[in-house]
Amino acid sequence: MSSELPARMGEWVIGTEAGTVLTCIGLGSCIGLALIDRRTKIAGLAHVMLPEAPSGPGAAKPSQPDKFADHAVPAMIEALIHAGAMRHRLEAVLVGGAQMFALGRGSGQDIGARNEAAVRAQLDRARIPVRAAATGGGKGRSMRVVIPAGEVVYKEAAGRPITLLDPSADTLRMAA
Amino acid sequence: MTTYTETQLDALRELANIGSGQAAAALSTMLGHPVDISVPTAAAMELNDAIAAAGDPDAARHAVLVPIIGDFDASVVLLVPDSDAQQLCDVYGLDPHSEDGRSFLQEVGNILGTSYINVLAEMCGMEMEPAPPQVVYDMLGSILASVLLARGEDVDMALVLDSALTVEGRPASLSFLLIPAGGGVHDLLARIGVS
Repeated sequence: MSSELPARMGEWVIGTEAGTVLTCIGLGSCIGLALIDRRTKIAGLAHVMLPEAPSGPGAAKPSQPDKFADHAVPAMIEALIHAGAMRHRLEAVLVGGAQMFALGRGSGQDIGARNEAAVRAQLDRARIPVRAAATGGGKGRSMRVVIPAGEVVYKEAAGRPITLLDPSADTLRMAA
Repeated sequence: MTTYTETQLDALRELANIGSGQAAAALSTMLGHPVDISVPTAAAMELNDAIAAAGDPDAARHAVLVPIIGDFDASVVLLVPDSDAQQLCDVYGLDPHSEDGRSFLQEVGNILGTSYINVLAEMCGMEMEPAPPQVVYDMLGSILASVLLARGEDVDMALVLDSALTVEGRPASLSFLLIPAGGGVHDLLARIGVS
């Protein structure tokens, strides 16, 4: 039967076997990025925490580089290709990037929006289209990617599951 | 990576104990019911572990966030399961999901956070001001991840001081977290002579 493979904060997971369900539970300002190759039925799910790793002289090497969009997205793409996916067939679905609280003293502190922009920039660079997204707003979300269908479903707290991408019906839905 | 010695964690636990004692007294006055406090826990954990320690990340919670500003950057987070929030709001005949219920929970968070922080500020001789509280009903994992990452800084470890409050005569308990940001904790420890 189905087995869950959770991507915890700052991790990504790859699923190739039918019955595997990739999950990101409790996304707040983090982004859950699903990358799917429908033909080979391979999918990856990254739980991105921050836009980019500190760089420049004197910056320490991050202890967990997959926290950052600029490390996690290219690394997961490489791993998907290694597992048999084709880069030009990859499709992306984004969930998360909410701003649940107004913290910080200035503006421009919306880490959720910065995470989404950083993930989209990496996808642009890799020429991977974003098929659906449920991002922003003020609510947390959880998401699931079901293999082999490549169906992407998310829900908010105490809410009903909403299908964002259903490759079998080939319907795409943009959430508000 | 920030780590703490057992002596430092003991000192923080003691601060949390005194702070939450004061907070419990304030809540008791507000509700007209005695409020018990547990012995607080203090632990420095990797972020994923800190969230797992708080409970099922998918579980819905009422949360009141009280940001602390001044010499010491921190967040106070009050977490209440829905059934417990019902019990609390019932004291005033409110529904926790209504506008009035939400502002009541916000006030509970405000009173708890403010009394807790005042004690801490007094003991350490530091300026600490609570900012206006914000209330949400959301998934535990989303709440804590958003608080821990709000500053957009690369943090590896979270220091979490957790006290549980129980309202007598009503099966209502709330969890009360102090989550300091960055290096402020070491200043705080130095002020009370534990470095």
